[in-house]
Amino acid sequence: MKKENSPNSITLEEPFLESFKYPRHVQMVMKGNYAAAEAARLCRAGFIPAYPITPQTTIVERLSELVSEGKLDATYINMDSEHSVFAAAMGAAIGGERVFTATAGQGLFYAHEVLQAIAHFRLPMVVCNVGRPSIPWNIWSDQSDSLSQRDTGWIQFYGESSQEVLDTIIQAYVLTERIQIPVMVVLDAFYQSHTSENIWMPDQNLADRFLPPIQAGPMSIDMKQPKSFGGLLPPEYYNKMNYSFWKAMNKVEAIAEEIGIDFGAHFGRPYSNVEAVNIGPKTRLILVTLSSITSTARGVIRDYPEIGLLKLRLFKPFPREAVRQALAPLSRDAIVAIVERNFLGDREGGIMQEMKRALYGSDYKMYDFFAGTGGKDVPPETIEKIIHRAFQQPEEATWVDVD
Amino acid sequence: MKPALEFLIKDEKVYSGALSCRGCGWSLLVRHLASILGEDTVYVAPASCFSIISGPYPLQELKANLVHTVFAAAPATATGVRAALDRQGKKDTTVVILAGDGGTFDIGLQALSGAAARNENLLYIVNNNGAYMNTGIQSSTATPYGAVTTTNPGEGFKRAWPKDLMGIIAAHNLPYAATASLAFLEDLRQKVEKAKNTKGFRLLMIDGPCPPGHKTDPAMSIHIGRLAVETRLFPLFEVERQDYTINYRPGKNIPVEECMKHQGRFKQLFRPENRQMIEEVQAHTDRYWMRLEMLAGM
Repeated sequence: MKKENSPNSITLEEPFLESFKYPRHVQMVMKGNYAAAEAARLCRAGFIPAYPITPQTTIVERLSELVSEGKLDATYINMDSEHSVFAAAMGAAIGGERVFTATAGQGLFYAHEVLQAIAHFRLPMVVCNVGRPSIPWNIWSDQSDSLSQRDTGWIQFYGESSQEVLDTIIQAYVLTERIQIPVMVVLDAFYQSHTSENIWMPDQNLADRFLPPIQAGPMSIDMKQPKSFGGLLPPEYYNKMNYSFWKAMNKVEAIAEEIGIDFGAHFGRPYSNVEAVNIGPKTRLILVTLSSITSTARGVIRDYPEIGLLKLRLFKPFPREAVRQALAPLSRDAIVAIVERNFLGDREGGIMQEMKRALYGSDYKMYDFFAGTGGKDVPPETIEKIIHRAFQQPEEATWVDVD
Repeated sequence: MKPALEFLIKDEKVYSGALSCRGCGWSLLVRHLASILGEDTVYVAPASCFSIISGPYPLQELKANLVHTVFAAAPATATGVRAALDRQGKKDTTVVILAGDGGTFDIGLQALSGAAARNENLLYIVNNNGAYMNTGIQSSTATPYGAVTTTNPGEGFKRAWPKDLMGIIAAHNLPYAATASLAFLEDLRQKVEKAKNTKGFRLLMIDGPCPPGHKTDPAMSIHIGRLAVETRLFPLFEVERQDYTINYRPGKNIPVEECMKHQGRFKQLFRPENRQMIEEVQAHTDRYWMRLEMLAGM
């Protein structure tokens, strides 16, 4: 079923036209972590609490440089732990500042308690997580850290490329400040964080037009109208608070979609919560992916006309409507193969759990594949293995490349 | 002698109805603090008795903003609040942490040390009542040697010495740290005033009366607090960078047991088989005082 590569797939004039592709942008070669830091600069983050952890470290290092070079007017503070980083982020957000920070793996796990507090305080902020797993020590790419924080009440996006990470951070500030729910933007350790890619860097005024300065919200300190934030909340009030959080969370999918389209109008690169590639009635199998594995899968499926791809960009709240719409054209026999770079201690990976919840009541043939946890490479051959094994419709989730 | 009608608190900055126990130090402390610090203040509180005393939603005791935060990281949250206020030009607004001893000596020590080492412009108030009183009298590392708590399996009282928080704090080389007692209100108020007018990280440790936890008569709270100072169990002193000042030298050598005997939490030490522990507390107290005198004489 493999088709031959077309020799005419690259056109000659492309490099020249490419340089005019996005007006008011500069094309640069940049590592993913630097793209994340530059996004914080473009968004004029005002408060940056920092604590180093591999592979996040170059984000906070670059932010420190940007502040010292005068390119970013932010208060940058070296904290004593990730727990304190997030607690300080919380304080500054209550103080009405635009907050940015970044962490990874153990740091995110350590901050778990504060993640809950920030979300339930309904504080706007954007945080980058460079995914890596828990102890035994491992610093390589894995999404178990962020996926295990999916129930903290944070919105989560996963970026396929460094460009997408940069663009998503900008969109995330518009989203978080509109709906007062914090946003986590996740990138892959090393494959993205330390890998140089082509980036289109927007001009500052383009970003400013898209993202206006932060406004005081209902959870901001007002010295003229003092109040108590987060005191003991009796049961009836707590229940009511969660109800209002739930109502807001239910709007996120639609608002994020709208912001993605609006971003396209401003920057020339529209985004959607999910992306469907080659999903139609004749598609025999689709891969479901997050982050940089998506790019590998894109390359592989070019050779397989009957194979499609569903990329999840928004993960929390899970884009149920978009996933349902994306899969709607599939035939009843089509197979859904999910690629999991995470292990949450259960029979299924985190993406499968969400897919089943989203598609409850429909009868898609879904198969789960663990591949690449702890940073193990997922090359095109592994994707091909997943495709072949999925056609065999295995009963249990399958670990690829372990034996 | 001042006229009897001259009150220390001229303008109350708290509302009535604080939910404290009878004889609790927190509400009296906060009344005095708030009257000096005023409304241009943001309070940050980790979990402690004060979280409850200040009022469950929608109540609020203080006439100022109050941010309740996670137990382990009040100084970190206050750091964020401070940074935000500074960025908005509100540099004169005081940011104050109100914490108990559990939130200071134990779970919050790292965040406290971090903020102190950065010399954040914050005022840290620790109401040290010597145990986790809000959850029902469990041992903290501030719990005195020999005190009963609900988490001392076996004998029922603590056999380890409390941390020397003031020593730890002084080691951070801070602009201002001091101890204060509700039985010495003018000294306490002067220290709050001084702390308010000092830039950088300041810490005040207050001896916190707690009738249910110390098993004392609520009417005796201030009296016992005075005895704690007079017996040198709770010396009143200040540390400015490396410089120590003793603020009050008791005129008489009153034995520690004169203070301890009013507190049910030390009752078992008065049994013949444990009497020696009181002597150990006396020896420890005497050594600590000698050390303070040496530091103050430097």
